[in-house]
Amino acid sequence: MKFKVKTIWRVKRFDKLDQEANKRRCDVAILIMFLFVVTFCARLWHLQIIQGKHFREQSERNRIRSVRLQPPRGKILDRTGRLLAGIKPCFNVCLVREDVGDMEALLAKLSPLLGETEAEIRPRLGSEQKGPQYVPIVIKRGADWETLSRIESRLFSLPGVFIEVTPARKYPYGSIAPHLLGYLGEISREDIEKERYKGARSGDMVGKCGVEERFENDLAGIKGQRRLEVDAGGRLVRVIDEKPPVPGKDLYLSIDLDLQQASEEAMKGYVGALVALDPQTGRILALVSSPAFDPDAFATGINNEEWKALNDPVSRPLQNKALQGRYAPASTFKIVMAAAALQEGIVTKNTSFKCTSQFRLGRSVFRCWNWRGHGQTNLYKALVESCDIYFYQVGLKLGIDKIAKYADAFGLGSKTGIDLPNESKGFIATPDWKLERYQEPWQEGETLITAIGQGFTLVTPLQMACLTAAVANGGTLYSPIYLEKITGPDGHIVKSFESIPKDKLPVSESNLRIIRKALVGAVNDKKATGKQCKMPDVLVAGKTGTAQVVGQAKRRQDDKLDWKYRDHAWFVAYAPAEKPELAVAVLCEHAGHGGSVAAPVARKVFETWFQIQSPLPVLGHGKTAFNRNNIDDHV
Amino acid sequence: MTMFDRRFLEHFDWWLFLAILLLMAIGFVNLNSGSAATGYPFQWKQLQWYIAGTVLMLSLVVFFDYRLLTVYSVHIYLIMVFMLILVVFIGKTVGGSQRWLSLGFMNIQPSELAKIATVIILSSYFYHDDRPQYGLTDLWRPFLLMLVPIFLIYHQPDLGTALFLVLIFASLVYMARLQWTSFLLLLGTAIATFPVVWEFLKPYQRGRIMDFISPGRDPLGAGYHISQSKIAIGSGQLLGKGYMKGSQAHLNFLPEVHTDFAFSIWAEEWGWVGAVILLGIFFLMLYRGFLIASQSKERFGAFLAFGVTAMLFWQVVINIGMVMGLMPVVGIPLPLVSYGGSSVFTTLIGAGLLLNVGSRRFMFQKGPRPK
Repeated sequence: MKFKVKTIWRVKRFDKLDQEANKRRCDVAILIMFLFVVTFCARLWHLQIIQGKHFREQSERNRIRSVRLQPPRGKILDRTGRLLAGIKPCFNVCLVREDVGDMEALLAKLSPLLGETEAEIRPRLGSEQKGPQYVPIVIKRGADWETLSRIESRLFSLPGVFIEVTPARKYPYGSIAPHLLGYLGEISREDIEKERYKGARSGDMVGKCGVEERFENDLAGIKGQRRLEVDAGGRLVRVIDEKPPVPGKDLYLSIDLDLQQASEEAMKGYVGALVALDPQTGRILALVSSPAFDPDAFATGINNEEWKALNDPVSRPLQNKALQGRYAPASTFKIVMAAAALQEGIVTKNTSFKCTSQFRLGRSVFRCWNWRGHGQTNLYKALVESCDIYFYQVGLKLGIDKIAKYADAFGLGSKTGIDLPNESKGFIATPDWKLERYQEPWQEGETLITAIGQGFTLVTPLQMACLTAAVANGGTLYSPIYLEKITGPDGHIVKSFESIPKDKLPVSESNLRIIRKALVGAVNDKKATGKQCKMPDVLVAGKTGTAQVVGQAKRRQDDKLDWKYRDHAWFVAYAPAEKPELAVAVLCEHAGHGGSVAAPVARKVFETWFQIQSPLPVLGHGKTAFNRNNIDDHV
Repeated sequence: MTMFDRRFLEHFDWWLFLAILLLMAIGFVNLNSGSAATGYPFQWKQLQWYIAGTVLMLSLVVFFDYRLLTVYSVHIYLIMVFMLILVVFIGKTVGGSQRWLSLGFMNIQPSELAKIATVIILSSYFYHDDRPQYGLTDLWRPFLLMLVPIFLIYHQPDLGTALFLVLIFASLVYMARLQWTSFLLLLGTAIATFPVVWEFLKPYQRGRIMDFISPGRDPLGAGYHISQSKIAIGSGQLLGKGYMKGSQAHLNFLPEVHTDFAFSIWAEEWGWVGAVILLGIFFLMLYRGFLIASQSKERFGAFLAFGVTAMLFWQVVINIGMVMGLMPVVGIPLPLVSYGGSSVFTTLIGAGLLLNVGSRRFMFQKGPRPK
């Protein structure tokens, strides 16, 4: 190839100096380039080798979305297998904040769909408190069908919004024993932080109080997981794998649905508590705290007003009064006093004191509730007619330390041991305690009022029910249980619950018999305080109690008295007296006399129970199952 | 071609040629994966560019003498400016900036071609204006030459490419020897005017610089791309996730896998080993390029070879630096690996010129310096 040499081809050649300068420049450039390449290799080493594992995890997290599969929550059934709490689907409107984009625009669109103002919705969006941006948050729980269809049809224009189905509680018989069962509510932040429940996260529903809380781990089951591969737009590419959820276990309570319903019905209108036990085993057959609350309300969210009503300081619907209510035992305490007196040999069944309705101690006068006085009174009569004077005498002779000792032996002042949180211990006063608390010595007058169940002594209805059961069954104090068994979803028994004998009453069989006989009299005799619980076919034994809330002087005119100054009505009883099947303790706050208020409540419970036991009348007209003239044979 | 000079073949830089072929091979293989990720068959179109570009490159080497550019650089410059002005009026707007000219069968990006044109016009200028050293006063003319395309490209807006032209200018000024005093003066001015420049930047441009300074600032905003790119590269680890198995790319976490982030998918799927091999090939290409500049016997060839190599070098540095989070996000393609006809042509024309300069250096080996 030969070029015609034109001027343009005659390019200037480098001279030697220029050539060298040129080479130097290029060498420097090569060096700089080399440094860059080395830097890049090092940077790659840093990213891929040193931080490689971290980035690999991040890329996996990018790629994989875990969807939790909710197991169906375990059912709660009564002792015969009737469903107390089942499950139903609950539709929640949820939001993934990461996917929303313009939150304000979304709120404006959502507000009319949910039928709520933006101001109402906004607090549910939370901030950092609800965790990372990609965690879904519930903005409307338990949305109704209309809301759902409105949202479903516009889902495409609501980025980040989706509808989630979670299991919620269904109560086929309505709300049954809500205080015992508890309810489901959104998990608290504290529980999440303390990792109280494995795998739980914000928005989850967990058991709150009662059985639902105590057996949360059994009821909840084990969450499953489906791992999805998604692209950057969050669209599903494929399902990687799936771990199916394990359904929760079913709980069979010892509660009897019929008895529970009847008990709740009987307690309607009263503020108070009722406990019915099987005295032979300590199984709880009915447990009522009145007024009740609606456990469903917690699932969908409670407004301010409802919350106020639930925390009403007078009726305290959220408090389980059977376990947590503390009341003076009043005359029901005389059972303990009688047992102590007999056992300590202070009285025999024939020892009698004269009741003139007044008892002088130093300069003070202590009265009997019966202003006419009971006259000559032995132990039987003292219990039947609930004579205060008799027990003042007994109390004085026993002394406060013995009283406290026997109260303790009867299970008062300490927890019954029921497997539920927040049980109250009640309270038994001693001179030592008083000295420490008030820096004052114990007064004998205080021994007197302690002897009739007033004063410092405080008991829970559950403690009284256990005490009554122990007297009924011959002296065994049980820790009450409320569970029969836990079964797996396939029905096999995972765990069954046996009765727990806790203690033996320190009272001889013959002494207990004396007391039992008197308790039968306290219901069945002509002048009995508890005769409103007398039943034609069944021999009931019981003891009334009327707990003063304020001192004698203010009590005079009951009808005009402020509600909060009225007496608490107690009644403890068991039946049939000859072979006790049911022990009941009833407490109605500020309702009046035990005999006129609490005894009829207990009677309804007994009626229901014996109706369940033999639904058809087996006895002929005019006949009774027992011979009232020969009670000794039965007790 | 009958009178083909054997020395031409002897001086043909086979290493450079090999590096370019390897880059195209890697580019194709990588784009095959990237195309699967995006769902568009980019790789076949890219193959057409490769073939057409290689033909153009080899024709440039064989049928064209680079020395012609000492005269025709002016024409090339004017064509470039004309095309850039055309873009202003009839350019296609993609993604908020007007960069493309539609030719019916293909869209060309004049700002890509402007890179190589800039190298040619500046090489030609410094060839004609031969001084042992340049002060600031000697540089205002070439700077004016540069200012026209820079302004037009900045106007598109394409700040990245506009700044890139400044880099090419700076590289060639380095080659031409700048006085120390002038260098320091320039440096000082640059630092002093930075706040003013900052004021003129668009919010997204400021955002990118801020993202570079602190990438975690806004994980779903502009910094998201860099975060995802670093995850892609890092998760490749030593040997990579395997070809076509890069989850970051294939599940669309990685943006622009076929263009700006082509290196990320490569590093994700082939790991550190693959990434270093690719860097090694780039090193080979650039090394041979600088060597050609170094061995050139005359000023124009040296400037041209150096300018083209510097152009390729800065593209590699900026692109890979960006995807590794070492530099701000600037839309500069990776030569031959990123998808794009204009970029492939620019690179292959540049490579053609390099081979051209290298092959023709024998012509100056003998005889006196022509006057």
